Amino acid sequence: MFEKIFRRKRNSADFAAEIQAHIQLEEDRLREQGLSAEEAHNRAYRTFGNVTHVQERFYESHRWIWFDHLWQDFRFAARMLHKSPGFTAVAVLTLALGIGASTVGFSIFYNLMFNAFAAKDASRLVVPTMHDADAGSTGALGLSLEDFEEIRKQNNVFEHVVGYVTWGGLVLANQGPHMYQFFVSRVTSDAFDFYGVPALLGRSIEPADGNPKAPGVFVISYDTWKSDFDGDPKILGENFVVDGEPRTLVGVMPPRFHAFGPNEQIWVPLDLSQAAPNGPDGHFPVFLLARLKRGVSLQSASANLNVIEHRLALVRPKDFPKHFRAGVETAEDVLIGWQAPGASFHSDLKHLLYDLLAAVMMLLLIACSNVANLLLARASTREKELAVRSALGASRRRIIRQLLVESSILAIAACFVGCALAWCGLKLIVAFLPHVFAGLGSLGAAIGPEAFLGLGLNVPVLLFALGITLLTVLICGLAPAVHVVRADLQPQLTGASKSGGAAHGKLRSALVISEVTLSIVLLVGAGLLMRTLFLLTHVDLGFNPKNVMMVIFLPPPGHAQVSPAQKFASPQGLAILRGIADHMRALPGVTDVSIQDTIPGYGPDRGPQVTIPGGTHTVEVGLLGCDENFLDTLQMQLLQGHWLSSEEVQQAAHDIVLNQKLARDLFGSKSPLGQQVQVKSFQPPIGAAQDTNFQVVGVVADIRNSSPQKPPTPLIFLPYTVGDGRFFLLKTAMNPLSLVRSVRDAVWSVDRDEVIGYSSPLEEFLQKFTYATPEFGLTLSGPLAAIALLLVIAGIFSVMAYNVALRTHEIGIRMALGAQEDNILRMILLRGLRLVAVGVILGVAASLMLTRFITSQIWGISATDPVTFVGVAILMIIVALTACYIPARRATRVDPMVALRHE
Amino acid sequence: MSTQSKNDEQERLKLLQGTLDLLILRTLILGSQHGQGIAHAIQQTSDEELLVEHGALYPALQRLEERGWISAKWGVSTNNRKARFYSLTSAGRKQLAAETTKWNRFAAAIGRILESEGS
Repeated sequence: MFEKIFRRKRNSADFAAEIQAHIQLEEDRLREQGLSAEEAHNRAYRTFGNVTHVQERFYESHRWIWFDHLWQDFRFAARMLHKSPGFTAVAVLTLALGIGASTVGFSIFYNLMFNAFAAKDASRLVVPTMHDADAGSTGALGLSLEDFEEIRKQNNVFEHVVGYVTWGGLVLANQGPHMYQFFVSRVTSDAFDFYGVPALLGRSIEPADGNPKAPGVFVISYDTWKSDFDGDPKILGENFVVDGEPRTLVGVMPPRFHAFGPNEQIWVPLDLSQAAPNGPDGHFPVFLLARLKRGVSLQSASANLNVIEHRLALVRPKDFPKHFRAGVETAEDVLIGWQAPGASFHSDLKHLLYDLLAAVMMLLLIACSNVANLLLARASTREKELAVRSALGASRRRIIRQLLVESSILAIAACFVGCALAWCGLKLIVAFLPHVFAGLGSLGAAIGPEAFLGLGLNVPVLLFALGITLLTVLICGLAPAVHVVRADLQPQLTGASKSGGAAHGKLRSALVISEVTLSIVLLVGAGLLMRTLFLLTHVDLGFNPKNVMMVIFLPPPGHAQVSPAQKFASPQGLAILRGIADHMRALPGVTDVSIQDTIPGYGPDRGPQVTIPGGTHTVEVGLLGCDENFLDTLQMQLLQGHWLSSEEVQQAAHDIVLNQKLARDLFGSKSPLGQQVQVKSFQPPIGAAQDTNFQVVGVVADIRNSSPQKPPTPLIFLPYTVGDGRFFLLKTAMNPLSLVRSVRDAVWSVDRDEVIGYSSPLEEFLQKFTYATPEFGLTLSGPLAAIALLLVIAGIFSVMAYNVALRTHEIGIRMALGAQEDNILRMILLRGLRLVAVGVILGVAASLMLTRFITSQIWGISATDPVTFVGVAILMIIVALTACYIPARRATRVDPMVALRHE
Repeated sequence: MSTQSKNDEQERLKLLQGTLDLLILRTLILGSQHGQGIAHAIQQTSDEELLVEHGALYPALQRLEERGWISAKWGVSTNNRKARFYSLTSAGRKQLAAETTKWNRFAAAIGRILESEGS
């Protein structure tokens, strides 16, 4: 076999000698017949035919010849591409943009959809859920410890089931004098083995830690280690008191570890032998995470679980809803599909990711049709060249191969550039997204912004994009060969056909139209998100959230004897609040401190009914307890009267300030100043109300109090000494983030028993709950739409330039017959515009059908927002006209004499 | 003479695709022969009816040699010139027999069709 391939049976010299011998013999024979030497020589050669051709055929019969040809083809193709650098650059860049952008998009999709978990065998991880038929809601299944044990014992579909308790949230911990507070998750001691992610430092929780007599331990998250302990490895083995129990810190988990709860910062073993700790209705719910046995489907697992649950419901009916259906969902579905709490439109990332996938596919299509367009344009100009080569004896196979080589060079070059672009793109995304992503509520916490740090070029994805573009390039690259293969050379050679592209013409117009259509869809999507984000970030909140820090106490239930409201309504509590406020005010960088009762922008919007004494008209209002500094801290606008004075607050006066909405609702156009307002069923924190009448001292402009997306509702501001008030707002001179630690210390220096739920910038809160989703969508869709627009410009330009080139002859005749430049210009532009108009109409129609998929991400405008649609259409037409103008302009500059000779 | 032979050449039949191999094999059954000899043998045996372009003979010879149906070695011609002589191998003989049968059936079939059309 090898011998057959490598052994060169005869060398060319031997073959040439044989041919010479043949001609010699023929000459001999002819001379015998009486011809002259010269005549015999000529005749012998003539009878033989083309000696060179025969020798070539001999040469070509060798097996390695294809390699030789390939090299020839390669050099020729490189020369051809070098000869038209403009075409080459545009084709390579177009392809590279398509490959690069879609690879980035697919990588993000893949990373979040399939690679969101660090867990072992993550694909078989499921979360048991329960559908409450009466409430119509579905949620993660929360069970009592007893029921949890029963499920462990009775099921036959799970390989393993672990449980965790996050209820109760924050706990205080201290190491000697140092105070900390953490979101805690209590896990069954086998949970970490189950999850299968080893600790970064030290060890994770082990089954032995579940033994009641085992010494107390806990592990902390990477973020907590970095933020609370400055990443100090010596912290391992230190002894803490966590929620009143001595525990040793035994491990730090790796960066991407976010398991067993949404915000967890530390994990402690759950003591199963202990009586269930008391929750609001008798027990803390235990949440479950299970791994399916191999080969068990979601359906059969759901069925099995449902049967067990219903059996348990018979034993303990009060623990279960009346009508329910238990089942399992994949952990990915539950976590990625999670809705951010408090957001008025859900940040359903899964939808967003599918939208992203669709957008990426569209972009890839645009890139492909663009390259197809370029290659088809080129094909038309090359048909003649190929006809000539074919007439000179090039075989069809050879011509096709030559074209394939040329296309492949383009594709390979594009591949390299595309990879480079994708790499850069991912770096940018990694730099940008975590900031956006951190705001995606529970989801951001579930996956963690760190997910993006591990974001890499996804090889299967890259190959996919490469494959599609390569296919396009190869198929379209063969277009010029079509006529050659049909052996339809005559018209090409005689120049009778100037429109080798006429057949392609329709195809190319269709390609331009589809490009415009697709990019309109992308642009409309991005445009709607952009408008949403703009509207959201430009909502007039009525207050200035910049450099405002909120401090909210959030003790877990049962943390103290009295409820926080009662505690801070007592004289001692009020003293504590004032003490803390004084300490905060003394911090460098803090310019204003206000004691109050809300998260500005998110409340209060429900409350008691109020009326004018003796009146019948009642209005539901929110009661906002605050102090004299509230107005200035939030930079609100006072419309009438005065703000609560320090004396009024100190003396717990029944003086109130109304918002404009309430003032209008109650008093119409009359001035409310000095008027009485009765708050029905007014309930002070301690004791019963003596007096439910309040005197209006001022009116302020409305502030958003029912989330930034909703219009303001009636609001009453009253002294916190009368109503509630145990939160703080701090106006700072710098970024409030830098003050978190000192603010916490200020609190603990007054009251060591306080659990601080939030101590974060107000802007961060707004970002997290209001802006995050559209921002995330826009960060992803904006660049895609921009690239699509760029590709469309290139596509329209190439088609128009080609059309003009084809019509140069015609234009020459027109101009020779007296057509004006304007006429020509208008003719060309109109032709381009016609294509674009069709594309725009189709694109708008497609968008109208498709935008309903992103309605959940849109706020403040409808999914068919006319401003966006018209804006995008106008943008597209302007861009298209610009792309048409340059070739059209060139056409008018044509010298008629040259044009007439132009073939 | 020269014009005469040119006319002759135009009237001669061009070889059908694939028949050259068969003719070469058939010629070589009479004994080993060099390329020029084969060309003339074909022309003469066909009563000058067939036109063999001498150049086309060599790729065919090369092909047959590669397939192992003929073998070749350099020798000396009757008029003392060096020439490469081809002879039939046993595989070549079998191939010739097979090809001849095939050709006869083919020719007969074509003939029948043409006759039926003629009548």
